[in-house]
Order: sequence, then structure tokens, then C-alpha cells
Amino acid sequence: MIKNIKLQLNHQEIELYVHPLKRLLDVLREDCGLLGSKEGCGEGECGACSVFVDGELVNSCLFPVGKAENKQVLTIEGFRDTVRYDVLRESFEEAGAVQCGFCSPGMMMAAEGLLRRHPHPAEQQIREGISGNLCRCTGYNMIIDAVMLASKRGDGLW
Amino acid sequence: MVEVYKPQSLKEALELLEFNDCTVFAGGTDLMVKKKQWTGLEPCFDKPVVLISEIDELTEIKRDENYLYIGAACTFSQLIESSLIPEFYKCVFVEMASPSIRNMATIGGNICNSSPAGDCLPLLYALDANLLIQSSCRNFEVPIEDFIIGPGRNILKSGELVTKVKILNSNFNIIKYRKVGARKSTVLSKLSFIGLADMEDKRLHDIRLAFGAVAPTVVRNREIEAEILNMYSMGLVDVQEITGYYSILIRPIDDQRSTAKYRKSSCKRLLEDFIKSLL
Amino acid sequence: MKTDISAPVKRDDVADKLAGLTCYIGDMRNEDMLYAKTLRSKEARAKIASIEYPVMPEGYFIVGKNDIPGRNRVKLLLEDWPFFAEDVVNYIGEPIALIVGSDKAVIQELIAATKVIYQKLEPILSIDDSGLLPIYGETNSFADYSFGKGDIDKVKRIAKYIYEGTYETGYQEQFYLEPQGVIAEFKEGKATIYGSLQCPYYIKNAVIDCLGISSDRVRIVQATTGGAFGGKEDYPSLLAGQAACAALKANKPVCLLLERNEDIECTTKRHPSRIRLTSYVDEGFKLIGLEADIVIDAGAYAGLSGVVLQRAMFAAAGVYNVENLRVHGKAIATNKVVSGAFRGFGSPQAFFAIEMHMEHAAKEMGVDPMEFKLQNVVKKWDKSTTGGIFRDKNLLPEMVQRVTEMSGFAEKKQTSKKPRNDNKRRGIGLSMFLHGCGFTGNGERDHIKAHVKLAKNSRDEVEILISNVEMGQGINTTMKKIAANALEIPIERVIFINPDTDRVPDSGPTVASRTIVVVGRLVYEAAIELKEKWQVGAVQEAECSYQYPEGYEWDNDSLSGDAYTNYSWGVNAVEVELDTLTFESKIIGVWAVFDIGKSIDDRIVKGQIDGGIVQGLGYASMEVMENQQGRFKQRSSTDYIIPTAMDIPIIQSELMCQPYSGGPFGAKGLGELTLVGSPIAYALAIEDAIDAGINSIPVRPELLMEVMADDKKY
Repeated sequence: MIKNIKLQLNHQEIELYVHPLKRLLDVLREDCGLLGSKEGCGEGECGACSVFVDGELVNSCLFPVGKAENKQVLTIEGFRDTVRYDVLRESFEEAGAVQCGFCSPGMMMAAEGLLRRHPHPAEQQIREGISGNLCRCTGYNMIIDAVMLASKRGDGLW
Repeated sequence: MVEVYKPQSLKEALELLEFNDCTVFAGGTDLMVKKKQWTGLEPCFDKPVVLISEIDELTEIKRDENYLYIGAACTFSQLIESSLIPEFYKCVFVEMASPSIRNMATIGGNICNSSPAGDCLPLLYALDANLLIQSSCRNFEVPIEDFIIGPGRNILKSGELVTKVKILNSNFNIIKYRKVGARKSTVLSKLSFIGLADMEDKRLHDIRLAFGAVAPTVVRNREIEAEILNMYSMGLVDVQEITGYYSILIRPIDDQRSTAKYRKSSCKRLLEDFIKSLL
Repeated sequence: MKTDISAPVKRDDVADKLAGLTCYIGDMRNEDMLYAKTLRSKEARAKIASIEYPVMPEGYFIVGKNDIPGRNRVKLLLEDWPFFAEDVVNYIGEPIALIVGSDKAVIQELIAATKVIYQKLEPILSIDDSGLLPIYGETNSFADYSFGKGDIDKVKRIAKYIYEGTYETGYQEQFYLEPQGVIAEFKEGKATIYGSLQCPYYIKNAVIDCLGISSDRVRIVQATTGGAFGGKEDYPSLLAGQAACAALKANKPVCLLLERNEDIECTTKRHPSRIRLTSYVDEGFKLIGLEADIVIDAGAYAGLSGVVLQRAMFAAAGVYNVENLRVHGKAIATNKVVSGAFRGFGSPQAFFAIEMHMEHAAKEMGVDPMEFKLQNVVKKWDKSTTGGIFRDKNLLPEMVQRVTEMSGFAEKKQTSKKPRNDNKRRGIGLSMFLHGCGFTGNGERDHIKAHVKLAKNSRDEVEILISNVEMGQGINTTMKKIAANALEIPIERVIFINPDTDRVPDSGPTVASRTIVVVGRLVYEAAIELKEKWQVGAVQEAECSYQYPEGYEWDNDSLSGDAYTNYSWGVNAVEVELDTLTFESKIIGVWAVFDIGKSIDDRIVKGQIDGGIVQGLGYASMEVMENQQGRFKQRSSTDYIIPTAMDIPIIQSELMCQPYSGGPFGAKGLGELTLVGSPIAYALAIEDAIDAGINSIPVRPELLMEVMADDKKY
């Protein structure tokens, strides 16, 4: 039962003709051509597919598109046009928080989700905030430094 | 491919369930993994799916003089952020999975999944939680331990929906929760333990003990708890005897996450430690 | 520009990676691309009696052993590993065929409808299984080597102390965040393969053999690679050959991407090992002799096991000087997934064994382990296990000194002994290790023969043409820095593009901690040459080929001489807090000092250090992979778990520098070294906390419970 589903994707109204159980991740990547969200595991373990749905961070690999109907979906492609993204990007660059980059878009979304809740997070809060995002390259500490740096540099933005 | 329904009210949902054998879909964090297919293909559900996560009646948290009512489709993040939820419940909820999973996963889903390792189950068993179950023709209430009857198995019949978790307001001043997993977050538990006690001037008024992931269903036993209260009142607490009682009930298995032996002996030590902390 | 090369510069790959703009193999799109799914063996060992395929709809293809125009063997060391199983299957998950077509749902149905009829054979499931039909040769070992020096029989007679121990290590899965994948296309008689990979020319050679076509008709293009850690050294050759045959048969591009759980269950892992060590010590606590017997579990096909075994054997004595030595090693065939390359490549196994052994031996003799170790550490001009010479000053004593200061080691050793009343115990451990950088033995000289090229355009921009890949480790930046520094031009005028074998010469694979020290040096030399002949506005080239440094010697038959031309060193300390109720441990501190010669970029180096240490900590603690009847028990990302940000504390690291004159700017190798020491320091910290011996990793709480219940101490 393929049907029309309307939602707001990165601030634009769109209408999709898909099965409502199709994974939001596949809809983004295949139907919308947005390739920034990655599939690292498909089981909600790695967080590489993290997006926001109505402001909540979710794993798009576990999220059927039918549940996003009439909601606002924000992916890295929408987030990267914001001032907060720029602050995070600079901080990630300066702190050396990126190596292979496969976890990076999801990590940025998790960092954004964390800073929305805790604009001035303590180290442990950052660890908790990105605990659903696996990174095999960095050992996390430079990512934690990056989020800390962003929270200082972007004071007032979150 | 299966039909997908998105009822807007509880009534609508119950009507749908009355006439269709459906898979109820709340947070989906377990279902989407179980039904996963090759990347790009829709998950393979074999029955029509009812999405219930947005039904208002199912996402409410309420508290009256006697009870706390949690809507079955409340997400764990919602519970963690609610001022109506006692802090010690939150200590259990924050150890579940990851922030993004907690934004999706629901308390009702965790209950109906009925896994022995379900993270919120030992707490709910210890709190004497009841479940409110509704169908279009009847409503009833059932204690959680009568609801779950085996690993992944419960008494819910076609047409019925768990709508609320009802918990008697209670006072516990000693609370110990331990989730034991192979890492510190985003992990399924090898075992879990919760001990709740109400103690005043060295007098023990109430004690609740529950163990997760060490038997086909969560282990909780009221007779042993009564016996422990009795021991305390007589001043004759025999830790060995208590662990001996539980040793019969704790029947874990070897699997990819841990061993039966480890699970059992860890439970024993956590229990001993808790009992001793009350002396 | 001439600046301090260690000063960090901006990585120019980062902005696109963060924004989700970087194109990984799974992001490549092609209009008429077909998908491929692998039909896999469900048996650990069986003859394939028959395969009953359903009727293929139009546009759908079976691609199996009969569709290989060339040789059905993946070109690696020994030629035993088929692209597709022939008449037997040797492990669960072994590829039998691909089903290829346009609609994934149809492919999935076709796979489900295929019946493979097996005649089961008794599988060899452990390195101890004997008396069964060998998988390989007569002895069932892919490699069996021995070497030694001095007179071990003599020291056996004169030793005052003899200590023996057996050490075991488990599987480890690379768990790069991006699963493996390739896309193959065939146009006008030429195969082009795009993929997530480490070694473009390994794959090129494998595909040439597979298709039986000439070199000029195979082209390999690396797609930006989402982590590899050795896991994309060997396996992509298999995938590339399979996909190339499929593209040839279907006459369309074919995409073969693995799903995460398929990748966990079917691709190569770190070799499990069992190492028995016997040490001979004189009355002055000098280590006078060592015997090592090393067995690694190679899985069903040889893969790279022979060289992994060699590296493990050469590391048998760790950082210690021992004049009388006998080392024996075997790589045993078993009916399990092929064991392969993983950061460290045999070395983490060997170092775990020798470091635990030295600690236990010291305790047994009643001497301080640290003093015993430092007393026996190799010094300049001492001989390596293979009789090679340590030509540079060894900073280990200073490094140990610094790590003990940073970590407060002595004080923590004391406090860990004090009884506590909170069900917690603390412990701290320290490891010393080295890593020989570049290929083992004669590899660089006789097999790889690296060649690099710099090409200057009329705008005076210089492109680095090498076959080494950026896979997260930062060579996109470090190589450009080396060239820019040597040429004394701004780094913005140096170009590095993902390698394409039609454009780049063969500078060898991106493995063995060789990229900076070997290839970087060649880039440096080519840059110096280009600088000397630099003409503004002219199109120019400079090339450079590897030359074996003078004064070094290696004999591959006797495995003697300089196994490596340079060594990097490390000292790690780890502190843990153990819960005595559940035996769960929490890592509360990590301190590290490394000597990697001159750092090419301090920030990139720190990234490697943190990442390697954390992979090592995972290896030693939570990364459990057990095989039961030929099948992994942990075969999903839910069950095979790697550290999260919650499991790791801040890592404090520093560098010391003993430059290597043969490396660019004095740089030595880095990538693998960083993983070697942390598993040991972790295990020793646990040992310190419980005051009982650990002989195997991963140190699971389940294991600790057993150790604590056991009376035997070390």
C-alpha cells in the first residue's frame, strides 16, 4: 500500500509516494537523494543515520517514514546551512574530531541534539549525548573536545 | 505489502484492532530491527501495522493521590524529562540504549516486547505495576507479572492494547539499581538488579527485589520478600538463606552476551550486598 | 613553505565529511546499475553436491565459479582462496555465487529459493582439532616457520630461573564504520572497479588474474574509505573479482555492498592466538634465553596469515634483549572465517604474551616487574630477535620514566593495595612495546618496490601520484605537508586525489605503518628532485623508487637479519576500577608516550594515538567474538560491541623523538603502534586490582570471576 506522505524536509514541504514502513533513511537516500545520512549498522547501534524529527534526534534506520508524516525532518543537508552548524564545523576541524568521516554527519546531529538540551555541557554530558554514535577512528576524545569548544564559541546560540 | 494504519484516537485504534489482526507499532526500535531486510527494501511485516505513537491518550503522564499513570506510548525521553516521574525511575531509564533510541522507544513497547532483558521491567515488577488493557469491548487491569508469561510472550490477545501503566505511589528511601552490560551505554543487559526498601530507624517496612535477564521472565517473589521483612523484625537476618531462596528462582542461560554462571553469581553478590546494606 | 612540519594544519577533507558531501562507495549512483547479493555457505565444511537455482527472470543472473574467465583464486600469498566456492565450502558465510539484478526484492527471493545440497564433512573448528582431513596440505598449516639464535640448549642448563606460561588472545573485528563495498563496470573491454579499499594494486592484480586479461584493461579507483584498519587490505580483492565477473556477465555496472551484519559474520578478523613462552633467567635477573611457540588460527584460507605469523614471531621477545632464542610458529587452517589483517598484524598478540610473561616471571622470582623489564630492555647496537641491529638510541627508559610521572604510577601501585569498603578495587598497569615499520623482511625490497611520482602543472601546482589511500588516517594532509615542505611551496598548491591505478604508479599498499616512513620518504625525495629542476610555468615530473637502505641485511630463507629498518616505540599506562560484585571494570585513566620519530602533524598523530589506544582497549575488554560450531555467536552490531564515548576516559599522551634518518624529516611509522600497548596495560591493571594472573584477552567479567575463584595466582 504505497501512499502519498507529506512532510517537511529541511524546511520544505514535500510529498512522497512511498510505503509508509519504508525506513526514513532509505527515503532520504533513495527517494530524496540526500546522501549525508549514512547507514553504518541498520540496527540503531551506530548513530550514523541520525536525523531530527520534530526536534527529536532519532535513528532514521529505525524510523518508518509513515511516522514522519506531517512532521519536520531535519537532516545534515538542512542543518549545514545554519550558524550553529558553522560553529560546530569549525570546532570539529580545530579539535581534530574527524578521521574517516563516516560517522561525522551523524555525530554532528548528535552534538546539535546535545547542545539543544545542554548548551554548556559538562564532559560527562557530552559523553552521554554522543553515546549512541559509534566512531572507530578517533577514540572520541577529540570529538568531546570539539563539542566543548563549540559550546564555548557558540555561547548564546543554543 | 501490508496495510499501515495511523489512528488518531484510542477509540479508532481499538476499532481497527477489533476487526484486523495487526502488529501494533509504537516506537519501533525492536520491530524495525527484527523485520529489517536488505538496505532499501521495506521491513517485512507479515500483518497490517497500526502506528500508535501519536495517540494523545497513550502519551499522557498523570498522577493522582494514589497512583501514577503512564501512557503506554510515552517515550523514555519523555519520562526522563517529566516532573511527575520519580527520580529513581529515571535512573533506570537513562541507562537504556542511547539518547536517540530513548527518543523513540516506548514503555509500552518495552513491556509488550516481554524480553527477559527488557530494561524497565525489573523496576515495574518491583513497583507492583499494573497494566491497563483495553479492547473495544472491555477494559481490565493486570499485574505486570501476570501479563508476561515467557520470553517474548504475554497474554495480550488480538484486539487488545496496553494503554497505561499504573503504579501505586510509594516511598522507598533505599534504592539500588544495577544494569550489568558489556559496555556503559547502548547495550543489552547481561543481567540487572533492583532493590527497593523503605526503612526507618532501623525498621524495615517494605522491601522489593527484582532481577532481569536471569530467567524466562523477571524474577520477583513476594513470599521471600515477606520472609525477609520477618527476619528483620525478629533481628535474625540470614543472608545465606535469602540468597538460597533466590538461587532456585534465578535460572539464567549461556548466550552470546554472557554465561549462566556469571549471571547467577553476580545476582547473588548484588543481592547480598543490598541485604547487607540494610543491616 | 618551510615551517615546523609537526605544527597542525587544517585537513581539507574534513569540511565535506562533516557536511555529508563526501562520496563513499555507497553514495555512488549510476542509472543502470545492478545490485548483487551473495549466496553463502550455511555449512562450516561440506561438499557441494548440487545447487538448485530457481529460473532467473530476464535481467537476473547467477554469477558463480563457472563465470570466472581467469583463475578462481584471490591473488595473495598462497593461491588457495577462491572467489566462489568450487566443490567444497570451508566456512559458514563462504561465497558460493552472486545473484545479480535490478530489483533487490526479486534478488532476495531468488536467493531464498535457491537450494544448496551439502554433503557434510567433519569440520576443523579449533587449532587443537587433529586427526581430521586437512583443509590445506598434509599438515593443515598454511605456514610453519622456525628461527633462532645463540645456544638455547646451553642456557637451559645454566639458567637459575625458568618460567613458562601460555597466553591466548581472541578474535577482533575491525568494525570500520563504513561496511565493505565495491562497484564494478565493464566498458569497451576494460574493467573499472570503484571501492572502499586500502590497496589499489593488490586489487588490480587480483582482478587481472580473475578475469584473465591484460594489465591495461583493469582499472581500480578508490572511493573515499570510511575506515579500514586492515580489514580492507585483503577482502576487497575478493569482492572486486566477484563484482567484476558479475559486471562482465550482466554487461552492466554491478554494485556489491555488504550489510553490517554480513560484514561482521563473513569478512576477515584479527587472528586468535595461543603463545607459549619459556624464559631462562640468570642469577642477576638477566633474561638469557627465550623459547616461543606461536600458533595462530588462520581460518579457512591462507590469506595473509604467513606474514601475520612472521610479524608475531619477530615480536616474540618484545622490547627485550635476549641472546639465545628459539621461535617456532604455525598458522593453522580451520573451518572458520579467514583471519586477516588488522592494525598491528600479529604484533598485538605477541606483545600481549611477552609483556604478561615478563610481569609474571618477575613476580614469580620475587623482583619488581618494572625493574626486571627495564634491566632487560634492548639498547642501541643490541640485536633484534632475527639478529638485526637496533641502530638508533632507544628512549624507552625515559619514556617509562615519563609515563610513571604522568600517571602517578608508584603512588597508585601503593593505593591499589589498600583495602576498601566500597566493593571497588583499583589497579594500574604499564606496557612497553615497539613496532617495526614497513613491510617485514624483504617485502619492501623484493615484492613492493614502491614507486612514486609528482606531477607539476603549468600553474605550478604539484600533484602527488601514489597508490596509498586516505582512509581516515590523514595522509591526504600529511603527504601534502611533506611535499609542500620539501618543495617550499604553500600546501594549497599541492594536490592529492583518491588514487586511480590509471593515473598513479604502484607505491604499494596502505598497510604496515609504511605510508609515511616509506612512501612519504619517496615523496620527499621526489619533491627535492622537482625543486632542484623547478621551472616556473613548466609542466614537469619527478619520480622516485624505493631503494633498500645501505648497511641492512635480510635473508628470507633463514629469517635472519634486519626484519625492519626502523622501529617506533611506546609506553602505555592504564588505570582501572573494578567492581568486585560484578567484576565489571571502568577505565579511569590512560597515559601514553610514543617515539614515532618526527611527528608529521601533531593533531593527526594525536588522532591516531587516541583511536589506536581505544581499539586496543576494546580488544582487551569488551570485544568478544566466540565461535561455536563454526558460527560466530556475536554476529550483529548489537552483540559484537565496540567502545562508546562512555567507556573511555581522557587519554593523556606525549611524544618523544628519536628520528629515523631514512624517514621523511626523521618520521617513523605510527598507525599500528598505537594499538599494541593498551590491551597489555589494561590486562596488567586488572591483574594489579585482583592480585591474580591474567593470561588471556579479552578480559571479560565472566573470565575474571573464574580467575578470582581460582587459587593459582600467576
